[in-house]
Amino acid sequence: MNGRIRTLRIVARSMWRRASGRYALVVMGLWLLVSAVSLVWTPYSLLATDGFDTWGSPSSSHLLGTDGVGADVLSWLMAGSRTNLVIAVLTVVVAAAFGLLLVAAMVSCNSAFSSASVVVVDALISIPTVLVALILSVPFGASAAVIVAACGFAYGLNLARILRPSALLAARSAYVESAIWSGASPIRVFFTHIMPNTLPVLSVQLSMSAGTSLLAEAGLTYLGVGVGSGVPSWGHSLTTSVRFISIYPLAVVWPGLVVTLVVIALNLFGDTLRDAIDPLTNPALREAA
Amino acid sequence: MSQSSGAHDETGATESKTSAASTDATLNARVKSPKRNGSNKWIHIIIAAVAVVAVIIGVTVARNSGDTDGSAGTANTADTVTIGLKLAPVSLDIRHQSGSAIEQVLIGNVYEALLSRDSDNKVQPGLATSWDISKDGKTYTFHLNRNMNFSNGDRLDAEDVAWSINQLKERQYYNANQVASLEKAEVVDANTVKLTLSSPDSNLLWYLTGRPGLVFDKQAKYDAKTEAIGSGPYTVESFDSSSRMVLKANPKYWGTSHKAVTQNVILRFLTDDNAAVNALKSGDVDVLSPVNATLAKSLDSKTYKVSAADGSDKYVLAFNCANAKLSDKRIRQAIRYAINHKEIIASRGNVDYALGGPIPSVDPGYEDLTDLYPYDLDKAKSLMAEAGYSTDKPLKLTLTYANTYGTELGDQLRSQLAEIGVDLTIDYVEFSTWLQDVHANGDYELSLVDHAESHDFYKWTTPGYYYHYDNKEVQSLYAKALAATDDASSNDYLKQAAKIVSEDSPADWLFGYRVTVAYNRNISGFPEKLSQTVLPLWAISKAQ
Amino acid sequence: MRFVCRRLLLFAGALVGLSLLVFALLRILPGDVAAVVAGTNATAEQLASLRSQMGLDKSYAAQYGDWIVGLLHGDLGTSVVSGKAVAAQVSSHASVTFPLIVFSLLIALAIGLPLGCAAVLTRNARLRGVFHVIAIVAGAVPALWGGLLLILLFSKGSGLLGLLPSQGFPDAGWSAPLSALAALMLPALATGITAGASIMRYTRAAVGDVASSQAVDMAMACGMTRRQAVLRVALRLATPQLVSVIGLTFAQMVTGVMVVENLFALPGLGSMLVTDVGNRDLVAVQSELFLLAAFFLFLGLLVDLLHRALDPRLKNATVGSGEVLA
Repeated sequence: MNGRIRTLRIVARSMWRRASGRYALVVMGLWLLVSAVSLVWTPYSLLATDGFDTWGSPSSSHLLGTDGVGADVLSWLMAGSRTNLVIAVLTVVVAAAFGLLLVAAMVSCNSAFSSASVVVVDALISIPTVLVALILSVPFGASAAVIVAACGFAYGLNLARILRPSALLAARSAYVESAIWSGASPIRVFFTHIMPNTLPVLSVQLSMSAGTSLLAEAGLTYLGVGVGSGVPSWGHSLTTSVRFISIYPLAVVWPGLVVTLVVIALNLFGDTLRDAIDPLTNPALREAA
Repeated sequence: MSQSSGAHDETGATESKTSAASTDATLNARVKSPKRNGSNKWIHIIIAAVAVVAVIIGVTVARNSGDTDGSAGTANTADTVTIGLKLAPVSLDIRHQSGSAIEQVLIGNVYEALLSRDSDNKVQPGLATSWDISKDGKTYTFHLNRNMNFSNGDRLDAEDVAWSINQLKERQYYNANQVASLEKAEVVDANTVKLTLSSPDSNLLWYLTGRPGLVFDKQAKYDAKTEAIGSGPYTVESFDSSSRMVLKANPKYWGTSHKAVTQNVILRFLTDDNAAVNALKSGDVDVLSPVNATLAKSLDSKTYKVSAADGSDKYVLAFNCANAKLSDKRIRQAIRYAINHKEIIASRGNVDYALGGPIPSVDPGYEDLTDLYPYDLDKAKSLMAEAGYSTDKPLKLTLTYANTYGTELGDQLRSQLAEIGVDLTIDYVEFSTWLQDVHANGDYELSLVDHAESHDFYKWTTPGYYYHYDNKEVQSLYAKALAATDDASSNDYLKQAAKIVSEDSPADWLFGYRVTVAYNRNISGFPEKLSQTVLPLWAISKAQ
Repeated sequence: MRFVCRRLLLFAGALVGLSLLVFALLRILPGDVAAVVAGTNATAEQLASLRSQMGLDKSYAAQYGDWIVGLLHGDLGTSVVSGKAVAAQVSSHASVTFPLIVFSLLIALAIGLPLGCAAVLTRNARLRGVFHVIAIVAGAVPALWGGLLLILLFSKGSGLLGLLPSQGFPDAGWSAPLSALAALMLPALATGITAGASIMRYTRAAVGDVASSQAVDMAMACGMTRRQAVLRVALRLATPQLVSVIGLTFAQMVTGVMVVENLFALPGLGSMLVTDVGNRDLVAVQSELFLLAAFFLFLGLLVDLLHRALDPRLKNATVGSGEVLA
């Protein structure tokens, strides 16, 4: 246990040492902080509207201006960050669970089962996220759950396909063979020997999935199959800002900027995490081991 | 470089041009900055960037000046006018398909009715030149124009008129219920038709200007969803509900007074407000009806004429009177006192008009009822308190409305009603879901919809309608209004009925939607008023 | 061969499952087309007569049977609302969407492949950093926002430089090819740039992997420069992987494409689906959804087979991983 904490500390430190890692950690820390703060405080109540002060420019009373009903843009963005955090986290969890399950199936010893799962993954992977979301939202209505389900499904398949080579390489390796010969259970083998080998790729993929889920949230919400009306989210803010782009172009800047900055952070987080947890690229980790 | 920006200053009238000029000024400044002494690479890059911008600006200027040259021509009229509309009819089947979009496009242009209506919503001659009404108000005799024909060449006479009206009744075509009192139509002679009513109906003539009065070709066989054979000044050349409808002047048009001035009229369906305004600015369309009021402010008044006119659209926030919570009149009244109509109208661009009752300003029986329930939070709160609710103990209500209206109205209502202790949940659904849940099943608490039809007071006298409003006094007043043989007394009864409805508060009327129309000043003959329901296009023309 | 058969069988099975799923999901929807057509003035009698006219009073089994029989005969049905053939409706909207996807993909490739290779080739750490930043930033822009920024920069009417039409598709469609292309330019850029960034990442990774492998060392030992070795050997070896990635990118771009279609007011498949679902035109919607999903299943099949054909290492691996392991 102690060793694990030490490893974590080394990983975090080597991520922090790089500028991109620092950026990623700072932005993600801010994201968490703002989400937490928004639960108890936002500059204005989300309910506050003012029809006489719509599309206001940034001012001292409304730092990022107001939207089409005169609501405070900053407050909505702050509150939106928690919705997006939930969506990103759930998407990652669903995608990881679904993806690893598929990987396990694909590298399993049962040849019929594994080959079948490979073919199923290959067949389903080409279905676009938006189509899944559309089909789901038709009977169940627009909600964050639709986004999570659609993204988790699509990214899980993607993950499975991307992890397969490295998982397969590990599965074919001598140490796995010896572990199987020595009578370790297949599940144990998978989690102790195969999965760690995929960790660098897994970390990149999952953090990218988190980022992509935010992009998908913006897109799906705009298309009306994402989070429902009245629920704060960055996609919601972006969607409401679009209405009068030609006369209030400034309004679209903020929500888009927030999404972009956070997605950049998530992508960088994955990259630096991969470098930091891979003993091949991180000498500090080798020394510690 | 300097030349092209000089050219800009001379012609730079629009926003885009000036801002483009300022961009290249900053780039100029950068070229002159001390960085010049830095690495050669940067200079090359900057020069290249400036060159690209210069070329782009040059091309734009050349293109724009080319445009102005082209438009300054002779005073002829163009043979094509393009009109941008917001709503597209989904089919051409005017006998079955609901919605004002289909009426707007087809009535008066492709199909003609027995009567027509002018821009003040008054009845005018149509296929019939004159009519007589019997003393008891139960028999109407219409004298038709002579030598009329359909666009396929078939003759149009009393036979077709009577057939069309009898079919309407028999097959229960759309809006047949509006003329429920109409019993039958009979041919007197080739140019005379007699309508018999079971009871007098002072609205009958007006309804005959709309769908119930449309005359179809008895002989023709065609797929009514994709084709339209009528007697109007235009024929449908092509139609795709996702992009446009092309109307062509009907070469066999029977009349002279409504003969099409312009050969081709293209109706483009632009659902996106920004795209619509851009299309107008770039000259892709000549007219926008409607144009978003807020966006219309960005139009240059030298080039475009922008005007707003009252219409029959009423944004009705209905309270389900059959619902346990809302059967308490105090709650309905509290909600009406709590809604700040001025604020809602302001946020929509300050064009719409406050409407305090069920009858819009263009209909008979209108009077300003906004004083009945002025914005008064204290009164609203005390009414809520009487009913047992406050901000600490809020009343939970759900507003169901269609996602075609935008989220803004729901957000505003939620915000305004929160102050008096109503916790409003917004159920933002597809229009089809709204139709099922609210309209067909009457299963709702609050509902919001734009009732666009004119002369639709009868919905308040039909307890089966989704309002679930049942007031005997209103019903008898409306019956008297229908039976009245002169307009003045009919209007008087309507006014009384409307006032009672408003006092009872089975709904709040958020505002009357005023349609803003914008068109290029080289266009003439566009009907500015009531263009959302009837849009006669025969007079439209474009100076070239 | 066994693999191909299995794959085809699965494709057929997936289609059947898909048809059932789509049909069933659509019947859960509240509201029906008759109510939408009849609108807010409808009476109960009008609704009933419309329903029987439209065949909505038939049992679900009969409706499903009708649909499947039609599909097998290549008949996608007729929209009960517009009265037009669904096939015609789909093809007219697809003539906007598919060129848009292809156009976006071309832009993505034009950006992603060279930059990806350049990122592998360059030895300049700073330049490498620049490539990295480009890939990260461009890949993080929501298609909606990217589209908005492009409108604000380049569009006629509301942009800084009035270069390209901002919204809408020319009335004449593809019979005016230049203006049609111009109309698709900004939307294609909006999705293409983001997709390009992801292709760039994948190219860099795939080519980079091969570049640090023995194959490239060998090629360099035989006298190629590193540049030649990467471009001729590594790129060639990475091709199968890239084909898969490009196939996937095609499918994944659809979300972005539907968003920009909406933003740029293009009459594409996205708007058609939304309108038809809104109208509860289920006959049309089920065929459209089925067709689209089938198309992407087919695309997956194609990419898969292509991947196998291109990668000689997979030729002997008749099935997946399992057998090798056992």
